[in-house]
Amino acid sequence: MTDATHPEGESLSRREMLEVTAAALAAPLVKLGPAAAPPALQAVSKFFTAAELALLDELAELIIPADAHSPGARAAGVAAYIDFRLSDSAEPEQQTKWRSGLAAVEALSKELNNGQAFLQASADQRVAVLTRMAAGEHDPKTPAEHFFQDLKGWTVRAYYTSKVGIHADQEYKGNVYQRGDYAGFDAT
Amino acid sequence: MTLVRVAPHLEQDVDLSKTYDAVVVGSGAAGGMAAHVLTTRGLKVLMLEAGKKLPIEQELRSMQWPYDHPRRGDAPPGYHSLSFNEYTIRTPPYAKNSTAKHVMSYVGGWGGSDYVKNILVDEKDHPYTGTKYAWVRARALGGKTNIWGRLALRLSDYDFKAKTHDGYGDDWPISYADLQPYYDKVDLYLGISGVKENLPHLPDSLFQRPNKLTSSEVKLREGLKKMGRVLTPYRAGVTTDGLKHNRYRSKCYGRGACDRRPGGCDIHAAFDSPTGLIYPAMDTGNLTVRPNSIAHEVLVDKNTGRARGVAFLDSATRKSYEAKAKVVIVAASTLESARLLLLSRSPQHPNGIGNSSGHVGHNFCEHVMGPGVTGLVKDLVGKPSTLDDGRPGGFYIPRFRNLKDRQPGFVRGYGFEGGGGFSIFPGNAFGTPGFGAQFKREVRDHAGAFIGMGGFGEVLSRYENYVDLDPDTKDAWGIPTLRFHYQFGDNERKMCEDMVVAGREMLEAAGIEVIGTDEKMLTEGWSIHELGTARMGSDPKTSVLNQFQQSHDVKNLFVVDGSSHVSASCQNPTWTIMALAWRSCEYLADEFKKGNV
Repeated sequence: MTDATHPEGESLSRREMLEVTAAALAAPLVKLGPAAAPPALQAVSKFFTAAELALLDELAELIIPADAHSPGARAAGVAAYIDFRLSDSAEPEQQTKWRSGLAAVEALSKELNNGQAFLQASADQRVAVLTRMAAGEHDPKTPAEHFFQDLKGWTVRAYYTSKVGIHADQEYKGNVYQRGDYAGFDAT
Repeated sequence: MTLVRVAPHLEQDVDLSKTYDAVVVGSGAAGGMAAHVLTTRGLKVLMLEAGKKLPIEQELRSMQWPYDHPRRGDAPPGYHSLSFNEYTIRTPPYAKNSTAKHVMSYVGGWGGSDYVKNILVDEKDHPYTGTKYAWVRARALGGKTNIWGRLALRLSDYDFKAKTHDGYGDDWPISYADLQPYYDKVDLYLGISGVKENLPHLPDSLFQRPNKLTSSEVKLREGLKKMGRVLTPYRAGVTTDGLKHNRYRSKCYGRGACDRRPGGCDIHAAFDSPTGLIYPAMDTGNLTVRPNSIAHEVLVDKNTGRARGVAFLDSATRKSYEAKAKVVIVAASTLESARLLLLSRSPQHPNGIGNSSGHVGHNFCEHVMGPGVTGLVKDLVGKPSTLDDGRPGGFYIPRFRNLKDRQPGFVRGYGFEGGGGFSIFPGNAFGTPGFGAQFKREVRDHAGAFIGMGGFGEVLSRYENYVDLDPDTKDAWGIPTLRFHYQFGDNERKMCEDMVVAGREMLEAAGIEVIGTDEKMLTEGWSIHELGTARMGSDPKTSVLNQFQQSHDVKNLFVVDGSSHVSASCQNPTWTIMALAWRSCEYLADEFKKGNV
């Protein structure tokens, strides 16, 4: 607070300028591209087993994949974030729901893919499993269909609140100081 | 981070042995304004606030990126926020039998619940009973002004003289001409941004520079012009050019944090009562503030029946105290003020102080909300991201019903609040079906192409809509709670049906594809605009206060918040609350100097 400026003054303090600049720089820095290392797999799981976390990581990446425009859920650390939120949860039923949801995905994969676990299945087979899960998106009936809603909802939440989602994918322009005219159009 | 240079003094010695000129109960828009006006006029004022004095900049953290917060802005484990479903299928007290450690109103469920968890009350400590009601309360210095929506509108004689216009209800004991000079004072002292539109039913303020519009909003504005309707940039209680007389507030730098959480501005460009009113009042040397002070009775002189002070509990120690004053000013919020009056029973005032009319708690009104429309502007799909959200709000469409026309189904009117363009979170991601590369591209391409708006309608003031004290239920401090007897009626239902029809018609007129409508009314209380429980009027038999918000029964008792409003109008009430409080406190200061109160 000591270096802050005159309340109605035009100049921002040095510290504020640094923060503003850091925010602006964040965008190019996180444009890592699809080949970047998957942070979720490097992270130590807090709630899921290593196998569960690997499965979740793959599912999230299938929902929001890396493409030519921006990295996907894997680079955004979506699985690790969900893992942390569940480890931190005060509602045990949430944890149960996610654990049994992942089990339902495995069961569906084995049913559709000649007994193969999801991560052992081919890329096409994985998509087929997720397509089946997403079929009931508006009116879920099976356990796997119900789980898809949670899985997608939390993947969306985690991805679009991450650095990758906000800066690289959405190319969000706000949360900065506008020192002159405000952006936008006059009401004429 | 804050641009505020001056740290206000947090701790003051409070001398309860002396008799203050005035004691003010509440520190929100109304209490803050009372403190400002009276201390400027030289009165010695003690302000009691039930909540804490929070280090508010640390609470709000307006520019924190979601990913820099461990739970992306969510409150810690153990916090539960009430959902529309819970308000609908259950009845109050909503926190009863909850296994959560803390239960918050629905506002805690908006994005950013961690930023408001210490500002909102815990429903577990603050129960109420009766009919369904989404009661949002903030106990902290500044009250709800810490998180308000900032839409700052004037009322007109379509509101003050509404009965004359359509025959329903009662006129206010004042007209627009009485209040206009005080709206002007509020504009200049606190700062307001907007565009002049010259509308008789929504008078212009003395505006600082306005917010800008986004592409989709310009398109809608142009479309509405053809219909003879107006879309105007959000009239915000925000200083966009700065205030030379206030060292606690910065001007608005258009930071994109405004729409990311329930209100709150950590550089105080948006008005809040502490930096806008209370700290400057403390600088006069005439204001003493005591937080953590839960007022539970206006004390009465046994001989004269006049108010002699306020009894309160310290929220932490639970010790009882009395604050002595020559004038008592109640500004605890519409419902809490009614509760305090009803709690203040004495032989002279057996139904509660100031309640010889039996109208305290009655004529309870507010705004109904919920219905709205969402549109897609097709030519914006796939366009690059633009900075659209560095604003306190998007737009406002003023009332257009029952001005010159007479609607067959309902009296009074409604306005729309809305916005279009990019924001920090692409909300369309939740509604976009499927998964994979196509899903991701579709979310990205459409994120800035939506425009949405929702109606805020006048709920008619009705005697039979009221609150009283529950004889059996007490809050965590042993104080009897409110019991609601309050429901929307047929006029509100018909009006809400019309909102959907009119909303659709307006988007279509602008060539915007309607992709969704909300038809349901949200639970009573949702607008957080409760009003009318101690209304003004010229007849002491049917009203609680005179035109100066002075009790008909007790001349040294004033109630200066939204409870005094005679009707709700459809305009957001905060600016009117402050203009009225300014006017009344000028009157009070004059009478005080003359020895008349």
